[in-house]
Amino acid sequence: MSEQPNDPRLDQAKASDGSVLDAHETALSRQHAADGARYRLLPIGILFTLSGLILFAGTYLNRYAGHYSARIFNENAKPSTGAVVAVKADPIALGKTQFNAVCITCHQANGQGIAGIYPPLAGSEWVNGPSARVIRIVLYGLKGTVNVEGHAYGAAAMPVFGQVAGSAYNWNDEKIAAVLTYVRQEWGNKAGPITADEVAAVHKAVGDRKEESETELLDLK
Amino acid sequence: MTMKSEYSPTDKASRWPILFLLISGAVWLVLAGIFGLIASVQLHSPDFMAVCPIFTYGRTVAIAETAFVYGWLANAGLALALWVLMRLSGEPLRAQNWALGGTAFWNLSILGAVIGLSLGDLSGFELLQLPSYLQLILFFSYAAIAIPGLLAWSGRLRRVSFASHWYAAAALFLFPWLLSIAHVMLFSAPVRGVLQPIVAGWYAQSVWTLVLAPLALSIAYFVVPKVTGKVLPSYEFASLGFWCLIFVGGLTGGRHLVGGPVPAWISSLAVVSCALLFFHTFVVLLNLRGAFTAPGVAVKFIAFGIAAYVLGAVFDTVTSFHSVAVQTQFTYFDEAQKQLALYGAATSILFGGAYFAVPRITGKAWLSPLLVRSHLVLSLLGIMLLVVSLASAGAAQSHDLLDASVPFATITAHTRDSLLGVTAAQFLLLLGNICFLANFYGTACEILNISQPATFSPSSAMETPAS
Repeated sequence: MSEQPNDPRLDQAKASDGSVLDAHETALSRQHAADGARYRLLPIGILFTLSGLILFAGTYLNRYAGHYSARIFNENAKPSTGAVVAVKADPIALGKTQFNAVCITCHQANGQGIAGIYPPLAGSEWVNGPSARVIRIVLYGLKGTVNVEGHAYGAAAMPVFGQVAGSAYNWNDEKIAAVLTYVRQEWGNKAGPITADEVAAVHKAVGDRKEESETELLDLK
Repeated sequence: MTMKSEYSPTDKASRWPILFLLISGAVWLVLAGIFGLIASVQLHSPDFMAVCPIFTYGRTVAIAETAFVYGWLANAGLALALWVLMRLSGEPLRAQNWALGGTAFWNLSILGAVIGLSLGDLSGFELLQLPSYLQLILFFSYAAIAIPGLLAWSGRLRRVSFASHWYAAAALFLFPWLLSIAHVMLFSAPVRGVLQPIVAGWYAQSVWTLVLAPLALSIAYFVVPKVTGKVLPSYEFASLGFWCLIFVGGLTGGRHLVGGPVPAWISSLAVVSCALLFFHTFVVLLNLRGAFTAPGVAVKFIAFGIAAYVLGAVFDTVTSFHSVAVQTQFTYFDEAQKQLALYGAATSILFGGAYFAVPRITGKAWLSPLLVRSHLVLSLLGIMLLVVSLASAGAAQSHDLLDASVPFATITAHTRDSLLGVTAAQFLLLLGNICFLANFYGTACEILNISQPATFSPSSAMETPAS
């Protein structure tokens, strides 16, 4: 049986195995000798390709690797300066969350309270009054009768919210400041914001104590 | 060194382990084709065979993938890599019993895996669906099959090493490493949370870049200069291309995690590695470009495979970028890329290698020229149709998926025509692969028929390049 040169049943080889090895070994060792001092275009092209790819790789990684941080998931994140940036929560949003979770039960969504039992917050002279008073009311609670807009309220006590002994809520100073800031600009109230630092200052100056009373508060300006 | 003829007692003495590996591969290829066909029908006709739990989509697709990668690609790749290493060593294969035993256990565990998968024992990791209890057997049997290859490499008659050596030896060493790490980190002492997809992605990508691609390349690097009879052009860069693959190949795993809940540097590193890997692909294309003009079935397959390899590298690089990944991720486009690599590149090159090697292993020409031609035509058409259909299904999906107002049923309906194309492609490929198996089986049986040896034209010394 004889196969034609292009018989699909049998692919002929033009070179023996040994000569494949030899010729390629020679090709490697001859490279320098044959070229002399001339530059050949192709090798230079290949090396430029590799260099270009490495340049691209370095640039891309520098820009999009998020400083190899295990905490950066967005490749477009701006390169970090190394400083830890704590994200500040919007006090109004935080305060609203706190109010809707707890305060709303007594003071109601419209801030009107319940006549005779829970005092209103909307338009209240206490809420719109000196910040030192409201900070203390939330931080330490309030017991006994309190007069708001000419009506007396005394049936229920304001609970203790701060991180003090006997507190039911253990809100930190930031949360207290946030809820006060929220209340003081809602329902037509026009009092200024209260910062966490102000709350912290009161907290530090007073320390632990029992619930406030109206007379004590009225002494504060 | 004396010039050996194309078929010598050396080949005759080494034939059995190689034939055993190759024929098991061909059988798995047909089985993978059958399950792939069923799975592709279920994509557009979901109730097809759905009454039988064994043939539900999740299992058929896992069986098709496992049989294809571990049954066909690994078996055939190892067979041809061992053959190339044996031919380059100039000596008969040593430690053949290790390869024979390893092949037996390898194929028994693939069989076990197919049974396990059909009973629902899926791991859920891409390219590693095998039940975990079989992975240790796979590890040891691969190592056993690799031993004759490494002995042929280390004990070669001449100290000269060639590109085929590097790629084959790399694949022989790296698979046990990949499998053992994936097994420990995903099964025996599983890492938690987001680390799992990172390890699984690394394994799936590395099996392709560090094992299957090098196996295919070791064969291409041997067959192309043999057939053209010319020194590979720009061969001085082959080693640079090789080391490029080895260094960055494993880092491309994060390509599938772009936009996922993983640290940004992992996916950015993968983007960069895909781009750097393009240098490797470029060198391969330069070295093996002779395949595009050389005559013969083997080289036609290999040329097609190289074209698919280059195209696949371009697609991998382009789709790894965040803005493109947004469009292509989680669509059939991913599947198109996978098939372009595993079928278009690896399988084509292995087919080419088989057409070149089998007459030199058996001493017989292929039995039927008609079956050879049919296989060539069916495979090339099938692969192109498969990749194009999947890509068009992916394009339809990505367009719809990004529009929140399109209901899911509409998206599925839009991909239906393309998925019919996938089924047609799977059918063509299955037909082609049956031709291949039948022809191969017939040719192997011809070994017993001593009257008709193949007539190899005398091969001469290689032409040296004109410079």
